[in-house]
Amino acid sequence: MPRSRDEDDEIDGDYEGLELEEEEEEDEDEEERGRGGGGSRRKRGRSNFIDDYADEDSQEEDDDDEDYGSRGGKGAASKRKKPSASIFLDREAHQVDDEEEEDEEEGEDDFIVDAGTDLPDERGDRRYERRFLSRDENDEDVEDLERRIQERFSRHHEEYDEEATDVEQQALLPSVRDPKLWMVKCAIGREREVAVCLMQKFIDRGADLQIRSVVALDHLKNYIYVEADKEAHVKEAIKGMRNIYANQKILLVPIREMTDVLSVESKAIDLSRDTWVRMKIGTYKGDLAKVVDVDNVRQRVTVKLIPRIDLQALASKLDGREVSKKKAFVPPPRFMNIDEARELHIRVERRRDPMTGDYFENIGGMLFKDGFMYKTVSLKSITVQNVTPTFDELEKFNKPSENGEGDFGGLSTLFANRKKGHFMKGDAVIVIKGDLKNLKGWVEKVDEENVLIRSEMKGLPDPLAVNERELCKYFEPGNHVKVVSGTHEGATGMVVKVDQHVLIILSDTTKEHVRVFADHVVESSEVTTGVTKIGDYELHDLVLLDNLSFGVIIRLENEAFQVLKGVPDRPEVALVKLREIKCKIEKKINVQDRYKNVIAVKDDVRVIEGPSKGKQGPVKHIYKGVLFIYDRHHLEHAGFICAKCTSCIVVGGSRSGANRNGGDSFSRYGNFKAPAPVPSSPGRFQRGRGGGYNNSGGRHGGGRGRGDDSLLGTTVKIRLGPFKGYRGPVVEVKGNSVRVELEMKIVTVDRDAISDNVATTPFRDTSRYSMGSETPMHPSRTPLHPYMTPMRDSGATPIHDGMRTPMRDRAWNPYTPMSPPRDNWEDGNPGSWGTSPQYQPGSPPSRAYEAPTPGSGWASTPGGSYSDAGTPRDHGSAYANAPSPYLPSTPGQPMTPSSASYLPGTPGGQPMTPGTGLDVMSPVIGGDAEAWFMPDILVDVHKAGEDSDVGVIRDVSDGTCKVSLGSSGEGDTIMALPSELEIIPPRKSDRVKIVGGQYRGSTGKLIGIDGSDGIVKIDDNLDVKILDLALLAKFVQP
Amino acid sequence: MFFHIVLERNMQLHPRFFGRNLRENLVSKLMKDVEGTCSGRHGFVVAITGIESIGKGLIRDGTGFVTFPVKYQCVVFRPFKGEILEAVVTLVNKMGFFAEAGPVQIFVSKHLIPDDMEFQAGDMPNYTTSDGSVKIQKECEVRLKIIGTRVDATEIFCVGTIKDDFLGVINDPAAA
Repeated sequence: MPRSRDEDDEIDGDYEGLELEEEEEEDEDEEERGRGGGGSRRKRGRSNFIDDYADEDSQEEDDDDEDYGSRGGKGAASKRKKPSASIFLDREAHQVDDEEEEDEEEGEDDFIVDAGTDLPDERGDRRYERRFLSRDENDEDVEDLERRIQERFSRHHEEYDEEATDVEQQALLPSVRDPKLWMVKCAIGREREVAVCLMQKFIDRGADLQIRSVVALDHLKNYIYVEADKEAHVKEAIKGMRNIYANQKILLVPIREMTDVLSVESKAIDLSRDTWVRMKIGTYKGDLAKVVDVDNVRQRVTVKLIPRIDLQALASKLDGREVSKKKAFVPPPRFMNIDEARELHIRVERRRDPMTGDYFENIGGMLFKDGFMYKTVSLKSITVQNVTPTFDELEKFNKPSENGEGDFGGLSTLFANRKKGHFMKGDAVIVIKGDLKNLKGWVEKVDEENVLIRSEMKGLPDPLAVNERELCKYFEPGNHVKVVSGTHEGATGMVVKVDQHVLIILSDTTKEHVRVFADHVVESSEVTTGVTKIGDYELHDLVLLDNLSFGVIIRLENEAFQVLKGVPDRPEVALVKLREIKCKIEKKINVQDRYKNVIAVKDDVRVIEGPSKGKQGPVKHIYKGVLFIYDRHHLEHAGFICAKCTSCIVVGGSRSGANRNGGDSFSRYGNFKAPAPVPSSPGRFQRGRGGGYNNSGGRHGGGRGRGDDSLLGTTVKIRLGPFKGYRGPVVEVKGNSVRVELEMKIVTVDRDAISDNVATTPFRDTSRYSMGSETPMHPSRTPLHPYMTPMRDSGATPIHDGMRTPMRDRAWNPYTPMSPPRDNWEDGNPGSWGTSPQYQPGSPPSRAYEAPTPGSGWASTPGGSYSDAGTPRDHGSAYANAPSPYLPSTPGQPMTPSSASYLPGTPGGQPMTPGTGLDVMSPVIGGDAEAWFMPDILVDVHKAGEDSDVGVIRDVSDGTCKVSLGSSGEGDTIMALPSELEIIPPRKSDRVKIVGGQYRGSTGKLIGIDGSDGIVKIDDNLDVKILDLALLAKFVQP
Repeated sequence: MFFHIVLERNMQLHPRFFGRNLRENLVSKLMKDVEGTCSGRHGFVVAITGIESIGKGLIRDGTGFVTFPVKYQCVVFRPFKGEILEAVVTLVNKMGFFAEAGPVQIFVSKHLIPDDMEFQAGDMPNYTTSDGSVKIQKECEVRLKIIGTRVDATEIFCVGTIKDDFLGVINDPAAA
């Protein structure tokens, strides 16, 4: 609204009025048109007329259709509405009588002549026509005349005088001396009301109110703008207003932004014929339409679209029968079939459009041609920018036009959306318009709009300058391209077919055909799938989903992933949003195939049963006994196949393993005891790229001799002797001795005194380490650190100190007063220490406090918390915000035997060596931080290579669980590793045990499930808590 | 196209392989390492035909591994754009068919199959001419022209066409 500013200036700044931004569209238009303030009166008057007219049109869509093409029946309506028009009408009517005066008349309405049109000719025609009209048709003639005049006014867009020059415009910009704009918050939807109220207030109070104007913008909810010199003035003005909150802050609009506030977004719409647009409102909302005519003055466009007309309804409407106003559905787009319409006795008139000379079928005021509907709509009701028609839509538009030319003339729209620097030197291009159509060439230089191209054609200037819009990129089959815009943006592939400006590309990853516009691709040798990463998750990652299922990401779509779920029975693909993914599973585990051969990631396996029988390929992921195999011949699901490990065999593996290992309940030892024919890892030297190739090599190589190689590199745990509990990779096997590289040193132990550990990484997976390298344990160990951290104060020393100190001291001498108790004594709280959880030795909380090295000094901050912790009262709060699941906050909790699972130092637990502390942590950590096994919970036991069984954990010690099989624990008792166990999620109204979090160890009843959360009523205090389902296990009464 | 060229590679050998059979060990390891691999520049290494020279071994610090520069002759296979190849059809689907010429996988899009050949779904999906005289199905041998190649680290993928003179099925074991 720069005009408002102008006026302010004119009135010397003492103008203290309220100027209301009123809501009528015409006003806005008018002001936009009359920008610069200096527009002549006549001009404004005329635009008023046009705007009135436009407004009327937008109110009555049907009318305007008639208006466009029909001659009859319209005049009356127009007359009714337009006094201004009838002035002209009178004048023209006068003309009819006095033709001699015409020249004079023409002089009067000079602005028509100004428009520089071929109007005189038209008039000549008209005159000629008129002579042949019989006088008794005079009435109709007048109407006709009126319409013509209107048409003439609206059609010929008069060029306005050049608006104010840049300098003048600059001078109009607000400066520091001008009043400022303040943004005032008001009740939503009350913006106008507030503005009107303020106006009223101004009228009532007059000059008391020192604000200058109030503006309510339609597009800005919740705020109005007040123009005033001082904030105090604004405050004064809005004082007591009902819809302005009293203590809202008033924001100053920076001077630079002031113009933006009030400038009407001047969309320099470069709308030309054949542009693709989309409808914004009405039945055709979202539909693609093609511009056939633009009327800049009236801000109207005639578009061609595929009609959505229910002929039946139309027929009954035209018959005058009542049609229910509320349409239940929008009829699908369909080309108008005139014959069909006639069959329904709909009156179809065939008319010639006077302007274009084309024939249209007119049905009930709607115009049709070739099945398309031609509709004149306001510019406001179409979207022009960023319209990228899809192929389907374009195809539909193409259908009825029989010329094989293809209706890709709409490419101009595509070009409109071109990015800058669209053409690059060296690009192969083809001319698509003009005399040089189909000329191929190469870009030499890009110079703004013009592109210099070099072509092979002789006799042409070299280089040749061509307008950018006349060029299109050119590709040949076999080119490798990347899509840089449009729906398939990011995809790469090879061109298999070029169909005019449309390429058919074979996508590199999906091996599917993709159709793209030539303009949307660039030549590239890059191979991608498009986007391959959203958040932390990449294509082909194994992820854990919200509902505890898991799968491999096989495709990335907009903001979502396609995940092939880990369901072996049938391929199940789910579309998953980013937030539904819990985490990436990066665990490296081995499982056994049907014949007890070890399968690790990258091994080639063949599926021998199930739906994907016969498929073969390298294993990409292993989780919970389910393999994800990549078969490059498998075209679905990005080549991924999901299969149970037991329905696969390792390619090159042995069959005899089954017998050998049969009956060995500790099947994980099986491989170790008789390792010879089934090397679990290929020879360490044969690693390289090309998994399958090398694997088989490794297998054959490893089969020689006693298969010592098989142990090499595997991570083992020492079961007996002074190094019991230590683990490390085997670096050498000599007869009955194995050299194991522990974390710090290499020791020699008896061969029988080791056990391999399924849960850790075998050597083969650590190929990124250099040969003969360090322990592969490190990667698996790493999670330990983040886990431990919260338990300690930030200043705590590395893990060993943190871990060991408490265990040795506290565990073994539970009642020997150590530093903390001494602190307690000093605190003078002797009475409390009997109940203090600190005195339950080795319980996590105390460890947490112990974690800082003694060297850090008791008197420091941690020391303070010791004292606090001594009193039970403080205890709760001290732990309440402890983030680690290892820290139970219920004082009674550490008493449960379960603590043994993570804290071997408890009196009830086994005697331990310092090392076991680390060991025992590992499985827990390896278990994806989901569940910490506790006694008396129902679990699923998946021993590799065996059917899964239900069992009840009886005891957890030293990293293994004693599990009684059977749903109530009546069966055999076996030992199982946590990695072989899976907590059975409880159902509603089951008794549950909480295995993690704040309430770990508590029992309760699951009274409801809400998504991934369970609602649990805890037994102890009958509190109702909402906990993650993953933390709940079915409780079985011992 | 096949080429017989000389390539060089640095082989690392574990000390335990040292001894009388060092050379044999080195060669067998070379074969294991190299044969069947693919490089963008040379294509697939099909076979090693001979050893040109084995340079002096260099002990790597810290590991005891010894690095030998080995020059070897080998046969490589590298498909080129415009080359005519004979390949065996491995998979037929509605988008076209895949064929293999040795280690190279070639895709022939349905747009690059003569227009008179129609896709027939079913147990044995195939492309058949309207008169049924020519049928492209799994296991059948086709002659095709490569129109584009894409070289990855581990494979070469080609797009081919049979929409040209003298291209198409040359032998169909199923029909015979």
